[in-house]
Amino acid sequence: MGYLNGFKVTFARLFEDRVTTEFPAEKRPKPVRFHGRHVLNRHEDGMEKCIGCELCAGVCPAKCIHVRGADNPLDDPVSPGERYGFVYEINYLRCIHCDMCVEACPTEAITESKILEFSFTNRDDAIYTKQELVVDDEGRPRHQPWELWMEGEDEHLSGWMRATAPSGAAAFEGRVGWSGDLGHGVRPPEEGQTAADEFEGAEETEAAT
Amino acid sequence: MSDATRVYRSPPREGSPVSDPTEAPPDDGVKITIDGREFTAHKGELLIAAAERAGTYIPHFCYHSRMSPVGMCRMCLVEVDSGRGPGLQPSCMVPVSDGMVVDTESETTKRAQEGILELLLINHPLDCPVCDKGGECPLQDQAVAFGPGESRFVEEKRHYEKPIPISDLVNLDRERCILCDRCTRFAREVAGDPLISFTERGNRTQVLTFPDDPFSSYFSGNTVQICPVGALTAAPYRFRARPWDLDQVESTCTTCSVGCRIAVQSSGDQIVRRLGVDIDPVNHGWLCDRGRFDYESAYSPERITDPLMRGRAGDSELIEATWPAAMAATAETLREAIDAHGASSVAVLGGARLTNEDAYTWSKLARTVIGTDNIDSQLADGLAAEMVLTLPRATIDEACSADTVIMFGVDPKEELPVLHLRLRHAVVEDKVPMIEFSPVETSLSRHCRSVRHLPGALTESVSELLASEGERIGSGSVVVVVGRGSLAGSGEDIEAAVAAIRQAIPHATFLPALRRGNVMGALQMGLSPGILPGGLAFSEADRLGEDWAGSQPVVSDEPGLDAAGILAAAAAGRVAVLILLGADPLADVPDRDLAERALAGAGTVVAVDTHLTVSARRAHVVLPASGPGEKAGTTTNLEGRISRLGPKVTPPGTARPDWMIAVELADRLGVDMGFADSRRIWDEISTVVPMFSDCPVERIESPEAQDGILCRPAGDGDLRWDPPAAVAAPPVDAYALRLVSSRKLYDQATMTANSPSLAGLAEESRVRLNPRELDRLGVTDGGRLAFVSPRTRIIATVSGDEKVPRGVMAMTFNAAGPAASELIELGTVVTEVRVETL
Amino acid sequence: MSDWRSKVGMADGLESLNHNFLTSNIEELVKWARRRSLMPATFGLACCAIEMMATGAAHYDLARFGMETFRASPRQADLMIVAGRVSQKMAPVLRTIYDQMMEPKWVISMGVCASSGGMFNNYAIVQGVDQVVPVDVYAPGCPPGPETLLHAILTVHELIRTGELTRRRDSAGGGAGIHLEIEAGPTPVAVRPGGGR
Repeated sequence: MGYLNGFKVTFARLFEDRVTTEFPAEKRPKPVRFHGRHVLNRHEDGMEKCIGCELCAGVCPAKCIHVRGADNPLDDPVSPGERYGFVYEINYLRCIHCDMCVEACPTEAITESKILEFSFTNRDDAIYTKQELVVDDEGRPRHQPWELWMEGEDEHLSGWMRATAPSGAAAFEGRVGWSGDLGHGVRPPEEGQTAADEFEGAEETEAAT
Repeated sequence: MSDATRVYRSPPREGSPVSDPTEAPPDDGVKITIDGREFTAHKGELLIAAAERAGTYIPHFCYHSRMSPVGMCRMCLVEVDSGRGPGLQPSCMVPVSDGMVVDTESETTKRAQEGILELLLINHPLDCPVCDKGGECPLQDQAVAFGPGESRFVEEKRHYEKPIPISDLVNLDRERCILCDRCTRFAREVAGDPLISFTERGNRTQVLTFPDDPFSSYFSGNTVQICPVGALTAAPYRFRARPWDLDQVESTCTTCSVGCRIAVQSSGDQIVRRLGVDIDPVNHGWLCDRGRFDYESAYSPERITDPLMRGRAGDSELIEATWPAAMAATAETLREAIDAHGASSVAVLGGARLTNEDAYTWSKLARTVIGTDNIDSQLADGLAAEMVLTLPRATIDEACSADTVIMFGVDPKEELPVLHLRLRHAVVEDKVPMIEFSPVETSLSRHCRSVRHLPGALTESVSELLASEGERIGSGSVVVVVGRGSLAGSGEDIEAAVAAIRQAIPHATFLPALRRGNVMGALQMGLSPGILPGGLAFSEADRLGEDWAGSQPVVSDEPGLDAAGILAAAAAGRVAVLILLGADPLADVPDRDLAERALAGAGTVVAVDTHLTVSARRAHVVLPASGPGEKAGTTTNLEGRISRLGPKVTPPGTARPDWMIAVELADRLGVDMGFADSRRIWDEISTVVPMFSDCPVERIESPEAQDGILCRPAGDGDLRWDPPAAVAAPPVDAYALRLVSSRKLYDQATMTANSPSLAGLAEESRVRLNPRELDRLGVTDGGRLAFVSPRTRIIATVSGDEKVPRGVMAMTFNAAGPAASELIELGTVVTEVRVETL
Repeated sequence: MSDWRSKVGMADGLESLNHNFLTSNIEELVKWARRRSLMPATFGLACCAIEMMATGAAHYDLARFGMETFRASPRQADLMIVAGRVSQKMAPVLRTIYDQMMEPKWVISMGVCASSGGMFNNYAIVQGVDQVVPVDVYAPGCPPGPETLLHAILTVHELIRTGELTRRRDSAGGGAGIHLEIEAGPTPVAVRPGGGR
């Protein structure tokens, strides 16, 4: 019976719960700071937050972002201010989801969602344009036909936080970094953090930034 | 600290470079101590400039080395001890003095700098992400390097209407302005167009134009470049790119022949901006707006991207063809023409658009492969090539420091704008005496001694002056700036005047103010009949090696036809193949009628061009050439200064450099020229042509060549210039007006007309007459009159202009509308025009 | 040889086969069999390979799709998952392995380095493995998680299900699509199908 010893583990596992996720039918929950595909956010009045400043394209280590600014039309402005993102393209066959663009964005226009279940049969399809990246009227990302979404998943898409505290000041240690400005995906403080308004000296640091 | 302000690509060199350690200290040196280090400065030098040379950067906004100091921004405050104890002084206003001790890093200095920056930022909006200057902004850089990091100012900032256009090319955002006085000083001091100035007082002080008077200076783009914040931005560059995605190469502007050093910047393989680079001998960092913005023409719909050919039927449309097909057709036509009518039935016109290497290759192709000498880079609108190549040549610097400058035949502001800036500075600031001869008032007339003469009577006028004052003038150095201002006369009177000066003042040197980009390089590479590369005559051909010495024109010793001759021969049907090297005879030859007949009479017209010009539309084969910023090579400016061009972007479509087209044509005609790149061509030029023997490729590529390398003809060759005998202008016809037709900066020139930002600045064609002449004729400003010359009769709008004397009519050459060239007949001394009322 | 083929309508190989009830159902059966028994060749080149292993492990369990056997021999594999950055030196090896695989075969370019060079825009890395082998599906991500890889594998399944039996489809954008065509004149000109010249 000695050779059965080798099957001990196998037989023992037979009576345990299955750990397999039936992937196309269900997804494992994503970590809260998961970096998925980007979204371009909008203000509550519907204006785009992107001002076409190209800072994201400048910091991108993979050079996957292409932005061109243009003069905001006076009668029908796309974003507040003089300039808006006229062309905004991200090549997902170059993007490494490092979130440097999110860090660099001065207007919190670009953030990353939790969606990364998609693939392409053509290089051209991998370039997302502004039309695909900009969120819809309710602030939710647009579901592209080739992306695999689960029911209700878009509720948890746009929560994000900066990896570094603004200006690196020590005063920001322990302060919640979630953006409260995004409509969807606003999260409670993480363990060890206090909410923005409870934070001691919050007003001073606000003024400093 | 000094490097901290240059984290990002800052505008190319501004101010004097850090001193060369090998440079011997001047004898009259002033010993100062900067941050504990001794330094010997020049006497009278400003402290900030001395510190810069010593390698210590002092932050500043208003100080600019090419303009007078004003001490507006106070950013350059440093602690200076000149013997009375240390105190804060603005280093841009304090000349160095012996024993001066300067501390640029003391606590007091730092506190002052932080205070100034906090003050400057009080009203400065934080819209850096959308500002065109963001990323290369001195204020941004210095706020990071020297600023306090925090502001105590919590009040609402000052608000103005966001950018207001102060001209067609420049936008002004007053919120961002820090009142450094750079732009207004530039307009007043350098450009001489004081069209912007400070208005209001105190907190509301702002830069503005005068009501209803836009900042329509030819040099307005410079204010954008020197603005230390994003207050002045260029409309063509607005939101086109950000500094961090720009790629830059240093090059030379080939829009006119001054040869300003520029930085060509591109983003995504498209040229998006040109900036002036400060080099001492030529442009001092300035550019004209035409040179700054005409890169736009590379992306115009008229740009030729692929070869075009006509179908079999002669009248068919130009259709796109492949290079092999177009080249095969061209070579075949050439071979047929040579076989049937001899090599002299082939003519090449133009070449000022080419680089030196292009010009040499085409010159060699025409002479040694095809065997024709009918080749001219000027379109009967320049000066005699023999004269230009044999006169002792002056540099711009020599002209600006001469004891007397004599100028005729050119209005530099319209034709060579940056030369105008240099001469204006010499005349206005340095009080260099200048004598100008001109039939109409020019932009320098009110600053110098200006002599009016009737068109055609230049020689008498010059001789008169030489007779009375020749001796006095000749006792000092004399530089003559000579151009071909008016195209309505033959230009022989200009040559006669030059000969008269040569005779009276033998030591006078000359600055030929020819207009087109590389016309000097084209002439020096032999794109002129009877002249071989290096300004050699046929008799000296053996100095160039056997390729040249054995070429057909040299062996037969018959100089070919010049542009006028080529056009006349073509009109008479004696030119089987006419090659246009970037030439647009219909627009640029002074005699439109002749140009029309020439294009109609030539057997096959091959146009090698960047744009589909009026003439190229008439061609049978059109070959696309790469334009400025798209090819490597060298160019020669009017002084004979050779500088490198920087290739930055790939040419659109299948366009290729002109030398490549010549090499392939030669190949198809059975000759391997052996050129694989432009470097190899310059290698041959410097080996073969004696004039360039001390200018090998290595020297051209060395940092020394940034300022250009002067290569002037030695003047000891066999080439002779026979000045025409003084031409007597016909007696004044009291019933006729004499035509003066000169060029304006903005006209229908190919690159200008195809640049959307500049095209709108070109004026419509109109005739300018003295207001009293208008009264006599009984018309008012804007009225219409008929003008009759021996050639034709045209109807044009007239306007009164005090700058035009009586008896003269001035008409812009190559402007939209009735063309002056229709009135002109090539070869006449003066064009007399009779006026008829309608 | 060709006469009997033309009689049954197969002069052009299987391409011109006229389907009847039997053959069309056999074709469906063949496609189903291929789809359900893909055998990937191990081509883990970098960090992506870790995720590829995770995909094979219990939590995602590739065996559910009948493809748990990663084959070490290309002769036995019909799906190449290029997982990781392909260096210039690895490119010919990759091509050799691909050539040794039996037809019909498919390629997944896993992760941005394999797909486009990713952040390694330098002389050492092939800027897109589709310059070397024809790629059917690109999986984005750095690295793509098991979900993304599974999505790519399911896309391959879909390609097999809807694709033609024998011919690789050009229109799906498979491969670099570069071939040489002699134009008028002696110079060969690179032509990109569907992309214009």
